Amino acid sequence: MENDKKEVLLSVKNLEITFFNNKKAFRAVKNANFEIYKGETFALVGESGSGKTTIGRAIIRLNPTSAGEIIYKGKKINGKISKEEEREIVRNIQMIFQDPAASLNERATIDYCVSEGLYNFHLYDNEEDRERKVDMALESVGLLPEHKSRYPHEFSGGQRQRIGIARAMIMKPEFIIADEPISALDVSIRAQVLNLMNKFKEEQGLTYMFIAHDLSVVRYFSDRIAVIHKGRIVEIAPTNVLFKYPLHPYTHSLLQAVPMPDPRIEKAKELVIYDESTRDLSGEKPILQEIRPGHFVFANDREMREYEETLRRWEKEEQ
Amino acid sequence: MTDQELFSFKRLDDTASEHISSPKYSYWRSVFRKFFSSKVAILMLILATAVVLMAFIQPMFSHYDPMDAESINDITKRFIRPNAEYWFGTDDVGNSLFDAVWAGTKNSLIVSFSATAITQILGVVIGMFWGFSKRFDAIMIQIYNVIANIPMTLVAMILMYALGSGMIQLIFALSVTSWISTAYFIRVQVMIIRDREYNLASRCLGTSTTKIITHNIFPYLISVIMTSISRDVPSFISYEVFLSYIGVGLSKAYPSLGQLIQKYSAYMTSTPYVFWIPVIVSAFISVSLYIVGQTLADASDPRTHMV
Repeated sequence: MENDKKEVLLSVKNLEITFFNNKKAFRAVKNANFEIYKGETFALVGESGSGKTTIGRAIIRLNPTSAGEIIYKGKKINGKISKEEEREIVRNIQMIFQDPAASLNERATIDYCVSEGLYNFHLYDNEEDRERKVDMALESVGLLPEHKSRYPHEFSGGQRQRIGIARAMIMKPEFIIADEPISALDVSIRAQVLNLMNKFKEEQGLTYMFIAHDLSVVRYFSDRIAVIHKGRIVEIAPTNVLFKYPLHPYTHSLLQAVPMPDPRIEKAKELVIYDESTRDLSGEKPILQEIRPGHFVFANDREMREYEETLRRWEKEEQ
Repeated sequence: MTDQELFSFKRLDDTASEHISSPKYSYWRSVFRKFFSSKVAILMLILATAVVLMAFIQPMFSHYDPMDAESINDITKRFIRPNAEYWFGTDDVGNSLFDAVWAGTKNSLIVSFSATAITQILGVVIGMFWGFSKRFDAIMIQIYNVIANIPMTLVAMILMYALGSGMIQLIFALSVTSWISTAYFIRVQVMIIRDREYNLASRCLGTSTTKIITHNIFPYLISVIMTSISRDVPSFISYEVFLSYIGVGLSKAYPSLGQLIQKYSAYMTSTPYVFWIPVIVSAFISVSLYIVGQTLADASDPRTHMV
């Protein structure tokens, strides 16, 4: 119920993304529906190839959509839109990329990399102002002004990822799509980058869409989670609810795959591998339905009844 | 000594781990350092510079004119072997071969450099947009398929017959079709790096296609463009030699290496030096420019800059 009071920043309605390879169509994302509220961290979780990055890139207009709508602050932002609107989106929605080694121009100085967005939108009064902004952006991610004349290959992975964050933050965006920002990083650096992202979220009231495959990170970082499997969103729920009551079998096996730092639990654990072919898929076509306020699951009516039963049982156990 | 003398308190410096201790990296300085670390390259650079300077300065003093044959009736001046006065000897009409070779080299170099410049500029600019635009690609690939399947030598020969011989005509005939293969080469290179993540990142920051081409793609291509130039210069020299040799190159008023080789090929057995000297000079130019170009291409690849 709490969610209804929140302002919807971005909503995705019946989104479909199709790739064509020699006229053979491949639907990478099927009928995706979700909403992201202002000021929250929304995580999109799924295995590789499930279409999570594709959705992120569609929002930022890197991937064309084949059906459905992406609505940002009440305005449609997919498909054909005017140049000004497109610039407005680019200005407000920024992306943090997965691989810090590949996402920086190796032949440009850090000064240029960070101020690229400033140049494009002319977000500075004069050269002095630009330099001041770059210095501030570098400082905010813990880098030094002397790094400006350096090239990306001279930095460590963590430093590069922070340059990537500085480059996005200097635009003063409202919404950031973080495409697995820590998967390519050393475990010791991950916390540093996550803390940095949280710091910016608090300071500037940002909204994140956090794309990840690592549930242990998502658990501590996000407010709501959407689980995506083979281009289809199977479950959306607030983080604590999803971890407590994983309804969809895929969510269940995804949660189970998280290793526990206890050998006894690990040994006793019986892994359930999600296999669509072994499931009972009879009945009408499933759709994403709300089973509890804010908790959506991809199911048909028959499955809904089963889920309802399970949920009631769990809730009873809880009491 | 007490502890107070031996040790002093230091505050924790969070920025200490962020400092980079390596000396500042500069792309062009690294290119030059890498280039000059090769002895062969330095030698070839000196040789190439010497040949180019000689070709452009010597004719200013010699005023060599291939149509001028004032000593033609003076038998004593014909076919003088190379000696202290005539370094390369004299030819069948009593002209100094030294003057002839440098005047010829000058024109050959002008043709080759101009054709290379036109080919590269057209090829790189068109190739960049070709690699980027799908719509442009659909048209260009058809044009390429047609042009690439016609032998370039044939096109050049027909054009030379049609346009008449001359410097401008030769440069035109050589560059009119050759740019498309350079453009195709650049297109493939652009396609390889076009969809790399850093270009997507630039797009997310609102960078225009033109700026992505000039700031993100072009710097990566310096090395392959260098390779392409270092292949073009010698190949255009050979083309000029070949076309002049079969009689469709420059007009008789312009001496060139090709013309000298063609003219003197009749004396290959009787007085071999008149034939072989232009051939050797031509080979020297090609080889030295090629090696200089290749070393520069290697040096301009930043992957070679790591020690």
